[in-house]
Amino acid sequence: MKDLCLHIRRRWFVLVALLPLLVGLMVLAGQAAPVAAAGLPETDPQKPDNTACLACHGQTGQSMKLPNGDVLGTSVDSKMFDASVHMNFSCATCHVNISAYPHPKNASQTAKEYRAQYKDACANCHKALAAELQDSAHTLLGKNGNPNTPVCIDCHNAHTQQPVKKDAAGKPTYEENATIAKVCATCHNGIYQQYIESVHGAGVTANNPDVPACGACHGIHTITDARSVEFRLKSPDLCAKCHTDAKIMGKYNISTEVLSTYVADFHGTTVTLFEKLSPDQQTNKPVCYDCHGVHNIARTSDPQKGLQIKANMLKACQNCHPDANINFPDSWLSHYIPSPEKAPLVYYVNLVYTILIPVVLGGMALIILTDIYRRLRMRGKPAHAETKEK
Amino acid sequence: MSETKYVRFELARRLEHAVLILSFTTLGLTGLIQRFATAGVSEFLIRLLGGIEPTRIIHRTAAAIFLLEAVYHLVVLGYKLYIQRAEASMMPGIKDVRDVIQFVGFNLGFTKDHPKMGRFNFAEKAEYWAMLWGLVMMGLTGLMLWNPISTANLLPGQFIPAAKAAHGLEAILAVLAIILWHFYHVHIKLWNWAMLRGTMTQSQMEEEHALELEAIQSGKTITPYSAQERARRMRIFVPVSAVSSIFLVVVIFMFLSYEKTAITTVPPVLGGVAAYQRQTATALPTRAPTVTPVPTPTKAPGASQAPTQPPAAAGAATWNSGVSQLFQDTCAACHGSAAMGGLNVSTYADAMKGGSSGALVTPGNPDTSTLIIKMKAGHAKTFSDAELAKIVDWIKAGALEK
Repeated sequence: MKDLCLHIRRRWFVLVALLPLLVGLMVLAGQAAPVAAAGLPETDPQKPDNTACLACHGQTGQSMKLPNGDVLGTSVDSKMFDASVHMNFSCATCHVNISAYPHPKNASQTAKEYRAQYKDACANCHKALAAELQDSAHTLLGKNGNPNTPVCIDCHNAHTQQPVKKDAAGKPTYEENATIAKVCATCHNGIYQQYIESVHGAGVTANNPDVPACGACHGIHTITDARSVEFRLKSPDLCAKCHTDAKIMGKYNISTEVLSTYVADFHGTTVTLFEKLSPDQQTNKPVCYDCHGVHNIARTSDPQKGLQIKANMLKACQNCHPDANINFPDSWLSHYIPSPEKAPLVYYVNLVYTILIPVVLGGMALIILTDIYRRLRMRGKPAHAETKEK
Repeated sequence: MSETKYVRFELARRLEHAVLILSFTTLGLTGLIQRFATAGVSEFLIRLLGGIEPTRIIHRTAAAIFLLEAVYHLVVLGYKLYIQRAEASMMPGIKDVRDVIQFVGFNLGFTKDHPKMGRFNFAEKAEYWAMLWGLVMMGLTGLMLWNPISTANLLPGQFIPAAKAAHGLEAILAVLAIILWHFYHVHIKLWNWAMLRGTMTQSQMEEEHALELEAIQSGKTITPYSAQERARRMRIFVPVSAVSSIFLVVVIFMFLSYEKTAITTVPPVLGGVAAYQRQTATALPTRAPTVTPVPTPTKAPGASQAPTQPPAAAGAATWNSGVSQLFQDTCAACHGSAAMGGLNVSTYADAMKGGSSGALVTPGNPDTSTLIIKMKAGHAKTFSDAELAKIVDWIKAGALEK
């Protein structure tokens, strides 16, 4: 009996000890749940449901005319909406300013203004993205009055947005690259047309995980101004992120010495020093894209644009050195480390000096050593030449 | 008690030396930090000098001073050799090789006597000629780097990176040689005051320049010449040295300022296009969704009428022959299955039922028909004038189905 009591008491003890642990786990689980849902609200099935709205807006070809003459499409494809990430949302979740028919008058004068009023509707749920966007080049341009800058729904049609595949870090995976590039093309079509023909763009079309799409260099919601001094000075590091990665470059047989050979040269040294010492000061010394092109980068073996073709390289040189002649491109070692095959003259100059320097200095040192030896040997002994000037 | 001192360098030579110290040190310092630009200490010094561009300007200024000093030195040499007929005491010879061997032998205890040397001993000659070699090498390669476009016009392009390699390596050699050879001989083994005070003590003369000392003591150094002779020599020397030195200075400045190597602006983007370039605008900014076909209005049950029904008034359309389509196109978005305001115009029967405002049409009388009154008063959507005329005709004709 006594034993049993003890036994029971011990079990109670275990339970009491476990209780805080259990509570702790529950609290943790409670906290973890919304994190897993990326901070987005729980989605009840459309309340109020969208039938009333879609009765009209579900029809094709709906539009409204704004005071400035802009025509705004007001149709929503209910099938696509019901397959979108927002399928469980009621129209009124975002369209808080519309509740009944006839709809209240909207003060927007232009389609742009009309669309911009839903910016906050997105931010209500997508708080982290809205925060990221605060410093984006698009936001800043918009604040400076540029009329062409996009708001959320210019890139993401909230009525049709499909789930974006993301990696562990929350960034879109490479499978999204082609889609994202097309979104950028809406406003940056000139660039897109060049890009999609480039070696990188062709890779994106082919769903190659190794090539950079727009976001890899520019960021997506954190887009920086690519025309800034900072962007230009840091751009070699941007290219180097992949181009010094042996794992990626190995697949394509591309040298990973491109950064070190660039930095060792006059141009690269200058740009590196500017980046380190005066990051806010512009330099006209070329960065990677001044020779290789920005969005129209081609293989260096490309017969049309490739820099292995001397005429193309000369054209790149003449971009900054208008008086350069056909000999001039050879003054750049094309990212090669001097060897008897590539840049023999440079190689042999280096070789001669690696012999000359130790030989000359060694000879001098030997003669000096004998003098030191004599002076040490004769220390303290009177000698005719040992008197120092007073 | 002070020793006898012998004049070794006049003031002008000492000033030349000071100019050389300044320009050489500046060149070495500003050059090596460019050669090893990414080293931490280089970065620190470059920052101290105000960045890489100021560092380059300082380097090139020092180079110009160095070159001008070389021209001046040539004129002085000419004066000494031609006017004064001084001995070319810097010329190396077999004796210098013997002196080195004897010096080493003496140091190691194989030879009894220290070599007796002239005005410039082997150590000084080695340094002078190394300096001259350095001047030529550094001058040539430096000017190639300063004028790369002109260089490539004359030579294969690879000479430019080769010049850069040689310029940097020669600099390392020169600086290390000065530190090792010059510093040892002039500052470490004994402090040599000659370049500061201009004089040297007897004992130092005995060790370093025993032959010159003997010559001085026997009065053999001066080659006397008459004032007439001097004037005759000057008549040749002055124009020749003036023309050649002016020529050299002009050539140097041409080399330093001739070439416009590169543009001074940031290069234009190759194949650049406008950043903002919208895709060809579609009619509506949002993507046109795939059409969900509007359900074709089904015939109202019991709508099938006896074929004996009287035909429509001539000219006026009937519900089935076009009026239905007008309603579909203009009204059905709200007054279709959504039946806004209770009105559904999907079928003839429904349309005729009207909505919350009563009957839609009064057959035969457009003016009292709610539809026409609403259209004329302004509605969210209205028929075009032509369409409205058709509708009016249809009502006038009795608003028939068939």
